[in-house]
Amino acid sequence: MMNMADAKPLAGAGKSPVQKAPRPSRPISPRMVDIAVQVAVVAALAGIWEFGARFGALNPFLLPPLSVVLGRIWEDLIAGTVPVDLGLTLYRALTGFAIGAVIGIPTGILMARSALVRWFFDPLVSIGFPMPKIAFLPIFILWFDIYDTSKIIMVAFSCFFPVVAATCAGCSSLDKWPIWSARSFGAKERELLWEVYLPMAMPQILTGLQVALPTGMITTIVTEMLMGGRGVGGAMIMAGRFADSVGVFAGIVQIIILGFVVVKSLEIVRRRLLIWHPESRK
Amino acid sequence: MSVTHLAPPPRSRAHAASSISISDVSHTYGARTAGGMLALDGINLDIGDGEFHCLLGPSGCGKSTLLYLIGGFIPVQAGMISTSAGPVTAPGPDRSIVFQNFALFPWKTVKDNVLYGLKKAGFNAAEREQRARHYIDMVHLTGFENAYPSQLSGGMQQRAAIARTLAVDPGILLMDEPFGALDAQTRRVMQEELRTIWRDSRKTVVFVTHDVQEAVFLADRISIMSARPGRIQHVIDVDLPKERGEEILENREFIGLSEHIWRLVREQAVAATRGAH
Ligand SMILES: Nc1ncnc2c1ncn2[C@@H]1O[C@H](COP(=O)(O)OP(=O)(O)O)[C@@H](O)[C@H]1O
Ligand SMILES: [Mg+2]
Repeated sequence: MMNMADAKPLAGAGKSPVQKAPRPSRPISPRMVDIAVQVAVVAALAGIWEFGARFGALNPFLLPPLSVVLGRIWEDLIAGTVPVDLGLTLYRALTGFAIGAVIGIPTGILMARSALVRWFFDPLVSIGFPMPKIAFLPIFILWFDIYDTSKIIMVAFSCFFPVVAATCAGCSSLDKWPIWSARSFGAKERELLWEVYLPMAMPQILTGLQVALPTGMITTIVTEMLMGGRGVGGAMIMAGRFADSVGVFAGIVQIIILGFVVVKSLEIVRRRLLIWHPESRK
Repeated sequence: MSVTHLAPPPRSRAHAASSISISDVSHTYGARTAGGMLALDGINLDIGDGEFHCLLGPSGCGKSTLLYLIGGFIPVQAGMISTSAGPVTAPGPDRSIVFQNFALFPWKTVKDNVLYGLKKAGFNAAEREQRARHYIDMVHLTGFENAYPSQLSGGMQQRAAIARTLAVDPGILLMDEPFGALDAQTRRVMQEELRTIWRDSRKTVVFVTHDVQEAVFLADRISIMSARPGRIQHVIDVDLPKERGEEILENREFIGLSEHIWRLVREQAVAATRGAH
């Protein structure tokens, strides 16, 4: 009979009973230690903030204690302003990000595969990538008015460049073997795009998305600050105008939490999508 | 050791075997730049309809290159390659290939790798399931259907690649050292399995190897290639019974032929090492 012992131990794939050996009990994994240390660092910083502000190291107007800031967020949460502001900011950031990705990924793939597309987009991307995208805000306001549309387009515009650049780089250095395989099974050029190039470049594309997402968050907040209105950025600018330092810090804490949640979520998506990749089995 | 003899899945479509005709084919790598490297030099070879043909030669003599040319993966620079369907210009599902380095889709599970080719070949959903199961069983990967290539050993990946290619039941089967990553036992089983499939389904097989015994065991005819630049030095008929099992290894004709071919191959290998100095 065939010897199956040459299978490496792997998660989920082996149904053979050989691999069901009882695991030696390890109470503390390195991953848990990592998380514990990170939580401890955040807690220590929060503690320094709280007690530094409370016991006179700093003027409480310039740096209100963390507990006061959290109390304000809680009040506004109950009053309903925080959910609206956070929701709007999140909506603008994610919609803009999604538009940037949906346009950026195919553009990047086509740039890598077609000289014609590359000739057209390469100079645009080279010029656009290092440029501060926010400089285009006045134009977008002129073109698309001052409401959500211009903000979302601003965000999409800023997300587009890192996605295109990463996708194009990822698709330019593809291993030829899976492509040859697909062609020998009769895949047509157009099918290759979605069936082979896209999944093969997925690690680099996701890296591009992971750069684009925080960029999109920053652009959202800055755009809201510049244009006013509802949203976390707008609320912070209003608080600043009324010399409400607690309100400004409440905005900062909200942005930190929002950014953390969104970035972590994308990491989870990455792990899901790249389940096949050796990087997921470190 | 036993060979699984499952009933082959019924075929819904006819796959015609085909002859392959290679005339005056040469290939130079880096031809457009100065100092291109001549890999194949004036290859002439006619492989008959339904023939099992082995290409035997030292490493670097252009065996893979010749297979890629037949497969249509690299353009023919000089000469002409045609099958019964006409001149070869591009890859196509009439000529399926098992690559030397497997070339599985790393983002697909073993089963999805096999299903991909079946889907492209136009089998209906029920046939796809049935054929995928049959060929995964045949290469003894049952239980690993949902594993990704990166989770498998080299030998298992190679078997997955073989299952994926055999499943589509091509008229012409190109195999580039397809058992190279397998241990001796598994290799033997797969060789017998391949002979059986070939005998039952009438395919033209071009099989690259540098294992003399493997070539003699499998082939109707063997081409021995010279060291670089690759030329066809000898073409040898293997007059052994169609039915070949374990017992043929002790057959005197088998042993004699193997030794004869071994001497011819060694000449080339010696020439290759001399050429390298
Ligand atoms: N893509 C390539 N570019 C340049 N030289 C190559 C390339 N592929 C193969 N060669 C060279 O061509 C010769 C034949 O290679 P190959 O067909 O792989 O031989 P074999 O399969 O018999 O070992 C070798 O000397 C190899 O180094
Ligand atoms: Mg080779």
